[in-house]
Order: sequence, then C-alpha cells, then structure tokens
Amino acid sequence: MNLAVRDLRQHWGRFGLSCLGVGLLLALVLSFAGIYNGFVADALGLIRSSGADLWVVQKDTRGPFAEMSRLPDDVRYRIAVVPGVRETSPYIFYTVQRPWHGRLLRFVVVGYDLGTGMGGPSQLVAGRGIAQAHYEMVADQKLGLRVGDVVHLGLHDYTVVGLTRGMVGSGGDPVAFFSYQDAEEIQFVKDNWAIRNARQRALAAYTHALPTQPTLAAGLARSFSDNPELHNVNAILVHLAPGADPAAVAAAINRWEYFTAYTTAAQSELMLAGSVALARRQTGLFRVLLTIVTTVIVAQIIYTMTLEKLKPIALLKLIGAPNRLIMGVVLQQSLALGLIGYVIALVVGNLTYDKWPRRVLVGLPDQLLLLAIVVVICLVASAMGLRRALRVEAGAALTG
Amino acid sequence: MEVVHIENLTKVYGSGHTAVTALRDATISVNRGELAAILGPSGSGKTTLLTAIAGIIEPTSGRVCIGQTCFYDNGWRVRDLRRFRREHMGFIFQSHNLVPFLTARENVLVVLQISGITGAKAVDIAQELLNYLGVGDRQAHLPEKLSGGEQQRVAIARALANSPQVILADEPTAALDTERGKSVMALFRQIAREKGSAVVCVTHDHRMIEGFDRIYQVKDGRVTDGDQQPPKGEPPT
Repeated sequence: MNLAVRDLRQHWGRFGLSCLGVGLLLALVLSFAGIYNGFVADALGLIRSSGADLWVVQKDTRGPFAEMSRLPDDVRYRIAVVPGVRETSPYIFYTVQRPWHGRLLRFVVVGYDLGTGMGGPSQLVAGRGIAQAHYEMVADQKLGLRVGDVVHLGLHDYTVVGLTRGMVGSGGDPVAFFSYQDAEEIQFVKDNWAIRNARQRALAAYTHALPTQPTLAAGLARSFSDNPELHNVNAILVHLAPGADPAAVAAAINRWEYFTAYTTAAQSELMLAGSVALARRQTGLFRVLLTIVTTVIVAQIIYTMTLEKLKPIALLKLIGAPNRLIMGVVLQQSLALGLIGYVIALVVGNLTYDKWPRRVLVGLPDQLLLLAIVVVICLVASAMGLRRALRVEAGAALTG
Repeated sequence: MEVVHIENLTKVYGSGHTAVTALRDATISVNRGELAAILGPSGSGKTTLLTAIAGIIEPTSGRVCIGQTCFYDNGWRVRDLRRFRREHMGFIFQSHNLVPFLTARENVLVVLQISGITGAKAVDIAQELLNYLGVGDRQAHLPEKLSGGEQQRVAIARALANSPQVILADEPTAALDTERGKSVMALFRQIAREKGSAVVCVTHDHRMIEGFDRIYQVKDGRVTDGDQQPPKGEPPT
C-alpha cells in the first residue's frame, strides 16, 4: 500500500492542476534549451551547407556573417591558384526587407556561383534549383512564397523556381538564393526612382559648386555617368584538393596583404562567439531563473501538501511508523509532481515547437538533462516539507 | 500477570520558578485482560500520564514498564520508542483519528505494514478484525463516509492490528451517545478477555465507570488510588 498515492487519490484534481503548472514551467525551461540549440543551428546552417573548406574575406574582418566584408569577385581566380585549392566560388550575404503584395518580406539574400554550386540551396522541398544566371530565385518556405511567385527587387523581377526547408540566417530570417551576379545587382544597382533622385541631388550640388569650386563641380559632373561598382562579393568560398591541409592553405592566403582566410571551424567559432554567445547567456540566465522559480513553486506545493497532513503524520508516528515511511510519502509526492510535470513538458513541447516563430531544437541530451534537473528540484523542494514533517510530534495526534 | 507497571512517575515541565509539576510519583498497575480507567478533571495530569505510558513524552523520573520491558527507568530509555510502541501498544482516541485518505481496511493495513506484515496475510488479518468489530461491510469506505460509531470500531480494529499488550485509549466514549459508549466498553471488555490485552482509558465519562476493573483518580498530578472494582454483575460494596 502506497500512502503517497493514497493521499494524492484524495486530491487528484488539485494535484493534477499543480502538475500541469509545473509541467508548463518545465516546458519553458526545455524550450529555452531548444531555442539556444535553434540559434546555433540557424547560425551554423549556412556555413555547414555551403560545403566550403575555407572562407576568404576582406583583410582583418570577421565576415561575411559576423561582420561586413567586401572584396572584388575576381579575387577567386587569384585564390584558385594557391597550392591545395581545388575550386573557388564567390559568396554574397546580406539582409533585405521589401514590400510584397501588402506585406513585408524580410529575408537573407545569398548569392552563389551556379557553376560550382558552393553556398547554394540544399534541401529543396519543391520546384528546382536555379538553372539560369538571371532572374530566378530559390526561397525558403518560411518566407511564405510559392513556386512561380514573382518578386520585384531593384530593377528586375525574380521568379521563385524552388523552395527549401530550414534554410535561415543567423537572425532566423529565411534565406533566398540568387546567382551571385543577381545578388550583386540587387545590392548595388539603384532602381530608377533612386537614380533620378540621386541625379537631381548631384545636379543641385553641381550648380551650387560651379561658380566658386570648379574642381568639385567637375568631380560631380563625372559622377553623373559613373556606374556603380558591381563586382564586389562578401567572401570567396574555397574547396580544397583532397589531402590539402586547411590550416596550411589558410596560412598561405593570410600571408597575402589584403585577405584573411578562415577554416570552416574558425568561421563557425566566429559565429558562436558573436551574436550567438549573447543569446546563449541570455537564454542560459532565463533557464536558471525559470529553474529557480520551478523549485520554489514545487517547494511551496509540497510544503502546503505536507501541512495538510500533519495530523495523519503525527498519527503515523504514534502508531510507530518509522521516519523513512513519512519521508517516503513526502519525497514520492514531490517526485510524482516533478515527473508528471516533466512528461507534460515533453508532450507540450513536442506539440508546439514547430509553431514557434524561430527554430526550437530539443534533443535527447536536453531531455535527459531536464530530467536530472527535475529530480534535483524535487529533492531540494522536498527539504522544507520533510523538515516540517519530521518535526511533528507523535503527541499531536492525541492532543488534536 | 502485570502488563502495565508505572512506578513513582514524575513529570516536570519547565525549570526553576516557572517549573510546573504535571505528575507526582504516580504509580499504577494494570494486569493482563484488565480495563483500567484514569479519571480526573481537565488539567489534572491524566493526559500527561497517558502520553508518558505511551512513551510520547519523557518523564522527569520514575519507571514505565510494559510487559517484561521497562522502556523508561529514571533517565534511561530504550532507543527506538516508536518501534517499541508499534510492537507493544495500540491507540484509540476520542476523535477516532483515522487517516482520512485511507479506507477503513487501509487504516488497519497501515499498522500491519508498519509492523512488517504485508500482502494477503495482512489483508486477511485486517478483514478478520473489521469483521470481528462488525464493520466488515464498511471496509472499502473512507472515514468521512463512516458514522462516528463505525469510525470508532475501525479505530479499535486498528489498535488491535499489531496484537498489542496494552491498548491506550484517550476519551474513547466521549463523542458517543450512551448506547454506543456502552457498546464500545463491551467491546473493550471482550477484547481484554479474548485477546488478553490490558486496556488503559483516560476518561471523565462517568457513565462508563462501572465497566472498568480498576479506577485511578488523578488530581493535581497525584494518582490517588487504584481501587479494584467488584467483578462485573456484582453490586458495588
């Protein structure tokens, strides 16, 4: 006969509600672990899917994700001749936010070389990959576009020819893939209204400068006909020849004056040490706070439940029940509360994670860690109730 | 055969000029199969005497023996009093004091479980006791679903579960009407005779006095006498 269960049988409704409350709190604790994992997966997703062995960026920058990096796209040919390099590919990465049919589309533009395919879309779930150098795009399904939709960007219209799943930037924004030439145009070529506006501003400045500053006026006049510098990319992705040592090839490239090369591992470290590190501390702190709150709530519930059975506890002591039996009742109820709450947390989590705005990834290690935390919480939270139960005098059963 | 032997028991609460002597040199003796009453007004020390016999409070001096074992002897006491209680004593209270979340049968089973008797054997014992006390058909009910008399019978069944040498009862008939009170006293008499236990009752229910074999009066902490009552059925002298 289990006294803990017999007692709970009397208050199953209230106990069930308590379990639900604790379960929802634990679901939040678990979610924050999943949110952090999601941050990491999002941050590293593009790096991992690129297939690159090295990332060459502007000298002394930590681009292209953690910091802006700009370098000419023809650098790829210079890097391609470094010993150990098999192929190179330009890579463009930036975020845009554009109106589209009455809503804002916010997404990460990734430009890649169609020839090598490095840094291009993977995990296509609909349509096809980009097959022509211009005016086609592949978007992540999170963007809400369908195959065949047309999006106007800069001077041109781009047709969605394929959809990916789970391709997002480090900020959680969905990715849209373009040829790197289109990505350069979208980034640097102004649309017609912007060009007219710039010309008007330049003409006004020219007219103002001409009487007194002829040199400046001449410079402004030249700017009327200047074409924007299109041929810039954010990084050059490098595929190494079999057997090449990434660190050695990176060192060779770093010796050049204007470039910095990172291995994929170093690029991942840069990401994790940047924005993700802050998120990790933030979510970590929140998890700790939630765990403390859960402990306090469980302690309060267990203490209240113990207070309600002081008379039966005194009676049990009077009829000779050993302390371990009484401690067992309190501990079993505490563990039941925690473990039922834990199961609720798992169920609630599994039913809701795919509906969260950002990716939530909860793995078995997170679940096992939470289980261990729950057991510790229950043991700690029982302490007050146990202390109270053990202090009850057997005589209290007689005196009422 | 003497089952309860209390000798020169003194209990002093507090110390110095705030000291209160609740019990002074109390000496009582109850034999196997006897019913003893401890009578006295409120605050006279009778509950202190009962709790000292039960080993719930530690006397200041004196000696408390149950059967062959003295569990308290002028400052010395057995280490595990709770175990001693569960092996030698049964308890019955005025307010019945059943565990509210256990059914009648479970209230009896819990004593057996604590005593290390489990499984079918425990269930058989519980069932037998409840039948013996006439509440066998109420064994699956929670205390709140039982009448006062039924609760008291379940409490008696529980007190008997560990086959105690002595049953200590605190105002067992105070909450019952005269008829039910007499029925409980008859039950005590039957238990004392058939099971051989000694029954010690703290009571001020004068309606039931004639049912006891011995009566101890407690006044201002002193136990005045332990008159042997005439055998039941004979007129008092």
